[in-house]
Amino acid sequence: MSAEPPAVACDPNGGRCITCSDEAIPMRVLRGGQESVPCADEQGVTHSVAVELVAPVATGDAVLVHAGVAIRHLGPVA
Amino acid sequence: MRFVDEFRDARLGQAVAGEILAAVDPDRHYKLMEVCGGHTHSIYKYGIDDVLPGNVELVHGPGCPVCVIPMGRVDDGIAVARQEGVIFTCFGDMMRVPGSRYTLLDAKAQGADVRMVYSPLDALRIARENPGRQVVFFAIGFETTAPSTALTLKRARAEGIENLSCICNHVTIVPPLRALLESPDLRLDGFIGPGHVCTVVGARPFGFIPADYARPVVISGFEPLDVLQSILMLLHQLREGRCEVENQYARVVPHEGNLRALQVMSEVFELRPHFEWRGLGFISQSGLRLSDAYRDFDAEERFAVPGVRVADPKACQCGEVLKGVIKPWECKVFGTACTPEHAIGTCMVSPEGACAAYYNFGRYAREREAV
Repeated sequence: MSAEPPAVACDPNGGRCITCSDEAIPMRVLRGGQESVPCADEQGVTHSVAVELVAPVATGDAVLVHAGVAIRHLGPVA
Repeated sequence: MRFVDEFRDARLGQAVAGEILAAVDPDRHYKLMEVCGGHTHSIYKYGIDDVLPGNVELVHGPGCPVCVIPMGRVDDGIAVARQEGVIFTCFGDMMRVPGSRYTLLDAKAQGADVRMVYSPLDALRIARENPGRQVVFFAIGFETTAPSTALTLKRARAEGIENLSCICNHVTIVPPLRALLESPDLRLDGFIGPGHVCTVVGARPFGFIPADYARPVVISGFEPLDVLQSILMLLHQLREGRCEVENQYARVVPHEGNLRALQVMSEVFELRPHFEWRGLGFISQSGLRLSDAYRDFDAEERFAVPGVRVADPKACQCGEVLKGVIKPWECKVFGTACTPEHAIGTCMVSPEGACAAYYNFGRYAREREAV
């Protein structure tokens, strides 16, 4: 996940790094597309996410993201 | 946020905990293994262990990708990181994993250009921005993470990026589970299956556990209600004498997995004949390397890599912890010589490691209140 620093990632005092482990987190797609799209996590932080493995995604969809890559399309966010 | 908030409802959690209490046979001891380090973290973060009956024991499995990296692979990474002109990239936790003498963080302090990334795609960006330097990505993780490395190398190939390479330490989850099930040390009654690995590989690869070893599996999500419900589903299977793979995490995990991700992985990777796991030794066909089509991105071929096997420190009992034979607090150095700040063993390095989960959430002793 490119430029934006994930505020809570890699906290060794009990936080969870979304890339260091086999954890994945749901994010909301901010602009639909086929390759790299902006997505917001639970805290509202924006990340660039590669969506080739679940494309196409539309604005407002939820995707499950791990290590900067969407691995599952979860459908539209209610 | 949808998919998160509704699975943290305390009232519902208490209700499921009550159902668990009603489902257990008081004369029986249950040993259930959560395979994934993400589940270990959730169990202690949300206090799930505290609401379980005393005769339901959770055993922590080998599913923390940082924890299973042997010291020799860290030494290999450091040897590459120290080479002239190399930018070495890895995930944050990996920087603190001890090699035989140093960590990658030590190597960075000593002058190596080691950079933390959040995605292998960041390593690709760094390679694009530094065409005169060699950029190496230290790839770790199970099938959840392997697609991101595969996708990155496919993008690098498409863009004609030649200064990126990868030390591939990706591993697969089924072979170590089979090794654990073959182990005479351990008697397990059921498995909480790794939800996000299954997002990629699907439920089918776990069918061997009920078929060959007569143990139930429930593929589970990571929120507290997910884990509680999965434990309840396992207890129901055991009570009813059933033995199958059930999917508690059906809102995310399709039975067939992510076929596009599996296709990308099969293009970029192939199985190694064997791979060393920390504490578990060499396990056949449990690790991935780059396929012939992507061999030119293999840092182990591009750079001189020592490839020396290093024995784990004698004081460290990560192997027994990873196999679930002992609890973290039973290790001789837990919380004294080995802490998250100065880890001896890998299980203390990652927040997903069983030792770090116990340490960070205060589980210093076995005793817990009777439920």
